Amino acid sequence: MNYIIEGLINGILMGSIYGLTALGLTIIFGVLKVINFAHGSLLMVGMYVAYWAVSLSGLHPYLTLVVVVPVMYLFGYYLQDIVIKPIFKAEREVREPITVIIVTTGVWYILDNLTLLVFGPQYRSIQDNPLRGKMLEFGEMLISVPKLWGFFAAIITAGSVYWFLQKTRTGRAIRATSLDRDAASLMGIKQYRVYNIAFGIGTATAGIAGVTLVPFYNVFPTVGVLFDIKGFIIVVLGGLGSIGGAILGGIIIGLIESVGPQFMAATWTEAIVYGLFLLVLFVKPSGLFGVRYDW
Amino acid sequence: MGEQMTRQNLQISSLLLVGIITFGLPLVLRSPTYLHILILLYLYAYLTSSWNLVGGFAGVLPLGHAAFVGIGAYSSTILYLQYGISPWLGMIVGGILAAIVGIIIGLPTFKMRGAYFALATIAFGEGIRVMVENIDYLGPFNLNGPRGLQIPPRNVGLTNLMFTTKEPYYYIILIMLVAVLALTYFISRSKLGYYLNAGGEEPEAAMSLGVNVARCKLIAMAMSSFLTALAGTFYAQFTLFIHPKSIISLDLSFEIAFIALIGGRGSIAGPVLGALLLRPVSDFSRIYFGATLPGLHLIIFGTVLVLVMIYQPRGLQEPLTRVYHKLLYRLIPEPAGTE
Repeated sequence: MNYIIEGLINGILMGSIYGLTALGLTIIFGVLKVINFAHGSLLMVGMYVAYWAVSLSGLHPYLTLVVVVPVMYLFGYYLQDIVIKPIFKAEREVREPITVIIVTTGVWYILDNLTLLVFGPQYRSIQDNPLRGKMLEFGEMLISVPKLWGFFAAIITAGSVYWFLQKTRTGRAIRATSLDRDAASLMGIKQYRVYNIAFGIGTATAGIAGVTLVPFYNVFPTVGVLFDIKGFIIVVLGGLGSIGGAILGGIIIGLIESVGPQFMAATWTEAIVYGLFLLVLFVKPSGLFGVRYDW
Repeated sequence: MGEQMTRQNLQISSLLLVGIITFGLPLVLRSPTYLHILILLYLYAYLTSSWNLVGGFAGVLPLGHAAFVGIGAYSSTILYLQYGISPWLGMIVGGILAAIVGIIIGLPTFKMRGAYFALATIAFGEGIRVMVENIDYLGPFNLNGPRGLQIPPRNVGLTNLMFTTKEPYYYIILIMLVAVLALTYFISRSKLGYYLNAGGEEPEAAMSLGVNVARCKLIAMAMSSFLTALAGTFYAQFTLFIHPKSIISLDLSFEIAFIALIGGRGSIAGPVLGALLLRPVSDFSRIYFGATLPGLHLIIFGTVLVLVMIYQPRGLQEPLTRVYHKLLYRLIPEPAGTE
């Protein structure tokens, strides 16, 4: 029984971190209406920035947020501004330009392999890690401390992004563009600047996810791919564009991965996740909280 | 009129020249390494042309075609290893199986919008890979799970689609490539081709004119998956070893799509051009920089892809076709007064 509860708790913790990694994907889709295939690579970049910030300065891993978040925001802002914006301008008529998917896939390959070229294929983990293997004990149950912090980071990040979109002026401009980009432009909202900001925010959340992962996860050039496919599944499950849906979708995947192996071979859980994903796509493509017209 | 004829003659003779060069190449080029590179180049051109039937003409972005390669490779290999059936027959069985799977996948997914379709095909391809990796025996068939299957090189010959030299493989894949290009040519000039194009560009308008867009896409998907599976059998017989991680990989699915997109999706020459430009980049950068600069060819791929999408969204075939036509008109100029 304890095993199952422990599995459930770990599933929820890890799942919320999955949700955090996918949060940027859903934010970017919500506004730009494109799936950013490079999101996993942005997460990877965030992990490398956090890794080097910790290694070079010797700061506590979570303090690197001060560096990682602005760096990643600017990275995303200018990535959209320089690489992706030209496509939007060229295909103004198309609501969901497929070309953007292709370009972001190109960015994925460039980022992953550039990292491989510069930092090599080796797995890195931070030295003198104050959080390594730290566990909370509840009777016979063990709960990983960095995952618990990751859980809080996911909830706080999702909450603040939600608050930002609902309550601030920029947030309202982003929501207006998301609903109808032409009408928003007519109201004097600078459409492409909103895109840049949304992309920046999405990338910054990938940076936050990177910081929470670094204390207990290895950093290597293709680490993003693991989270990329998982991220697609999570956001479709929760509903593309929905912030709460991303966290909930993540938790569902986390639970399948942690509870599943107690009933079957661990490798089969992956097949179940893909099956569930296809089922959602076929039966209810808008996911748990998505908007119907978005698919 | 006369000039029209000579221009056509020139086009036909240049096509013939290309034909003679490609078919005669193994007589001159004796190096197995270069033949190997050329075989892979044709294989990718073939795969991309098959992909193009649905990814180019039907205007969607399928990113799971490696699954069909896998279905073809596994069908023929299992039939050969366990029942001694010739891979040529196995090839057809694999093709039919892939076409059926393609239709099953197409039925629900073609209703989806662009991004969802791409995601669904990724999940489908990855799902097939995970299943093959986890299944040792599918009923009576031995898939051998993550270890893959090896074909012992016995009874070498045409009936078993197994050769000790590279030349026969070269001719087989070349003929397959020519066949698929001819098929693409006829489809692009058939009713189906026009329907597909219309459905890809403006589905609502096409449907309002009475075009059954969904049915056309399904036909294209069935043909595309059938042809892709044939290449799977060829690949299995060429390497005599199939491994789920490498044959049903996301990387293969993406590379097929990349080559088509860079060359120019929806055109006949695009996939060949893409393979012609990109395969040597990947082969030679792996030969010369594989150890010192790993992943260099993928950086080049990514960069070329981004640049092409920004500056030539219809692929590189478009400016090249323009240059070709200009050259053609320069060689045989329009006589004054005909237009």
